[in-house]
Amino acid sequence: MSHLSLVKSLSHLKEAQKYSDEILLESVGLTLTRGAIAEIAGEASSGKTSLMLAVLAELTAKGEICAVVDSANSFDPCSATLAGVVLENLLWVKCDGEIEKAFMAADYLVQAKGFGAVWLNLNALPKNQLRMVPRNYWYRYRTRVKETPTLFLVTTEFPVAGSASQRSFLFSRRRTGWSGMGRFKLLRDFYVSIHPRKQFYEEPLLTRIELDYSDV
Amino acid sequence: MSRSYACIISADAKKDKEVLLAIAQRFSYSIQMLEDGVLFDVSGLDRLVGSQQKISQKILEHLKKADISGSVAVANTVDTATLLARQNTVQSARFSVSGGEQAKACTLNEFQQLPLEDLDIEQDTLNVFSDLGIRRIEELLQIPTNELVKRYGQEFVEVIDVIQQNGRRFVTPNIRDNNVSWSFELDFPVEDFEQLIFILNHGLDKLLSQVVDHGFSTEHLDISFRLRDKTAKSYEIKTSFPTLEKTFWLKLINLRISLDPPGAGIVSVNVVSHFTRPRPAQKGLYAVSRPEPESLLLTANKLKKLVGEENVGVPVLLNQRLAEAFTLDADKLPSGTERIEVREDGPVIAFSYFNPPIAAKVSIRNKQLIHLHTPYVSGKVKECSGVWRRNSRWWNRGWNTEEWDIEIENGGVYRLCRISSHWFLVGEYD
Repeated sequence: MSHLSLVKSLSHLKEAQKYSDEILLESVGLTLTRGAIAEIAGEASSGKTSLMLAVLAELTAKGEICAVVDSANSFDPCSATLAGVVLENLLWVKCDGEIEKAFMAADYLVQAKGFGAVWLNLNALPKNQLRMVPRNYWYRYRTRVKETPTLFLVTTEFPVAGSASQRSFLFSRRRTGWSGMGRFKLLRDFYVSIHPRKQFYEEPLLTRIELDYSDV
Repeated sequence: MSRSYACIISADAKKDKEVLLAIAQRFSYSIQMLEDGVLFDVSGLDRLVGSQQKISQKILEHLKKADISGSVAVANTVDTATLLARQNTVQSARFSVSGGEQAKACTLNEFQQLPLEDLDIEQDTLNVFSDLGIRRIEELLQIPTNELVKRYGQEFVEVIDVIQQNGRRFVTPNIRDNNVSWSFELDFPVEDFEQLIFILNHGLDKLLSQVVDHGFSTEHLDISFRLRDKTAKSYEIKTSFPTLEKTFWLKLINLRISLDPPGAGIVSVNVVSHFTRPRPAQKGLYAVSRPEPESLLLTANKLKKLVGEENVGVPVLLNQRLAEAFTLDADKLPSGTERIEVREDGPVIAFSYFNPPIAAKVSIRNKQLIHLHTPYVSGKVKECSGVWRRNSRWWNRGWNTEEWDIEIENGGVYRLCRISSHWFLVGEYD
């Protein structure tokens, strides 16, 4: 008579909840939750942008509309196309390096509700400016995206969102792969390790990111 | 009350469309434009004009006045009127049933003489009839109805109705007003934005309710102001979807006017709303996450106000050989199209631009890059690939660069570029 049980086991509920609003990046082995802030921090060339493009590719291919808040006008649509992002489903907001505008723009986007993902790209902004951002901004975003299907993504050189973020990862490049010799050398791949900063029991992930030389 | 329908078939309906419509509007409000003419309901005109014969003569007079070559038919059913009118496109008037006795006989006879090809009958069936020697309506009428339905199915009842002149079809009016307008003359010039929005709010209330009354929606508003300095200012506001949400339109008007405000006090306001079909909306379990169109458009406009019109839009790749072969299309909004082929591979290394490029100092020894120094990144060059020479647009603005991909010790991987003797870090592989 176990199948008639009215009370589902806790593990079953957890399982049901897990797959309802999570975005799974199989190639990397990461899961990100909708309606929450996910923060990706890392030094230069640590694969943050590559991962963001992989998330956008996953969502835009399904027809979801995503937004990029490009704080320092650094977004490269050619790379995005190579990563599989459907550009027609992407709203690109260029902020000319003005941090205040970037945060305001992100606020408007989360208020709109219904975006698959909003990526606040703070990569190229000076550290001192980022440190001056009040913490309550992050809590405001957290409240806004809660109970919406939006995944709020932040990329910076160092963690900024604090406890407002639901998931936080620290990316670091272990090794850079080059092929060929002398003048015929080519950049091939990055070996990146991903350290979850919130789930301490999780093992760091190792992943390989390749450079695609094909034409767009 | 018996119905009467008139049909005018013109030799050149495209050219005469406006005139045909004007003639039809003299007789009826229920008008259907056809590809080759116009069909309209003239029921009830018998008291005003007279018999169907007189109605058709009157229509013909108007046609002659307008110098239009065509034929007119008035009948008790839509199909009969259309078939009779199509039979002859030189100037003639036909009518059926309720005319004088002589006319009735004449027209009924004429209708029955029509070939079966004019009816909506399948070619195979027509061939069978032809083999049996049945070529005209009167011959088909001789066959018992039951036999025809039994052989050719229930769908053939429609053909039988047409030949027996049992009208089941009605005029489907397709000519209506395509806009409504609202005007307001002000006692005193309005210079305050809030007052203007208050007035527009009142106007939109009335206008949108009129649109609803017509059974339409709107995606296009024309707003024009007459100003105190005797000039005029107009705004055309279009969305890519129809909506009747007043608050949405008000916000959009607010954003649009605040981007380009009128230069003087407003003396009068005129708003025109153009009709469009209402938007069919389907919200299902399997719908992916997209903002509502209203919300997306408003957000894009808010963002444009914040960061500038040219800085919000959809990225578009350019099919040109350029350093940055892409642009931002500020007129477009994300469409939410689904891609059938999904990329299965893992993530690829992305490139991020430094905007503007960072000026760099590079030390070279034995044609090898040794050290890089910039205000932000400095260090020994660990690995490098290149030189990649890129050039294009020699006929317009020269683009001629030498590029290297370099890995800095304890740093990142960058794209280094040399233009004449100046070095720049163009961006970072991330």
